[in-house]
Amino acid sequence: MKQIQPRQNYLGPGGWVWAGKYKLERYLYLLHRITGLGILFFLLIHLCMTTIFRLQGQDVWQATIALLQNPWFKIGEYLVCVAFVYHALNGLRLILQELGFAMGRPTPPVYPYKDALRKKRPWTITLVAVIIILALVFFYDFIVGGW
Amino acid sequence: MRHTYLWFLQLVTGVLIAVLLAIHLVIMHLDAILGLFGVDVADAPSWESMMGRSIQGVWAGLYIALLAVVLYHALNGLRGIILELAPSATTERIVTWVIIAFGIVAFIGGTYVPVALLAG
Repeated sequence: MKQIQPRQNYLGPGGWVWAGKYKLERYLYLLHRITGLGILFFLLIHLCMTTIFRLQGQDVWQATIALLQNPWFKIGEYLVCVAFVYHALNGLRLILQELGFAMGRPTPPVYPYKDALRKKRPWTITLVAVIIILALVFFYDFIVGGW
Repeated sequence: MRHTYLWFLQLVTGVLIAVLLAIHLVIMHLDAILGLFGVDVADAPSWESMMGRSIQGVWAGLYIALLAVVLYHALNGLRGIILELAPSATTERIVTWVIIAFGIVAFIGGTYVPVALLAG
């Protein structure tokens, strides 16, 4: 009898950056995790600025705000902004699907089968398109110079 | 606490963040669009505007609430990522308590400033 290998598809920590032949949703999940960690990093800096720096008074605060006009900080701000948009919209998708919405009607298992992932796929692709459009809009606003 | 409750709280805080953070970002960055609706935030990141908001109970409460849900969501997410490495029970307990301690310290640090300003 063939032995079942446990955790055959377990990618380990390597799966945090590369998901092999897994499908779109797995890569969205990877991005969700990376953007989450990035936002956490930003949150720590942001909290330092709004607590420690603020207590030191008006001059330090204004110097910090002036520092944020630096083009490198603008690029960082853009990345944080896109990460927010991605994490928020993808998170909304995850919440809706966790609670059982937007999954399509249940169908009898007649060949060719349509699994739940493929039924949800159109919504997922729409969402990715929206995120890309928003990322481009923000690129124009933050990097190119905006309106 | 059972992990299912922690996960459900992760969903709830996620929705709350979507609302609260949207308010925060619109106030901070979309002043031109707010102006069209007759709302004047007077250069929100500046010192005067920021201090003006800090002494209003509504804003202080809103920001403290945002801080609480963001810290929960971020640190619970970080804990989930670390626990995915399947550490031993001892390591898991250490990670949990370090993260709880960090969250409490960050919350007190972040709350101190608006509360001190409110108190005058």
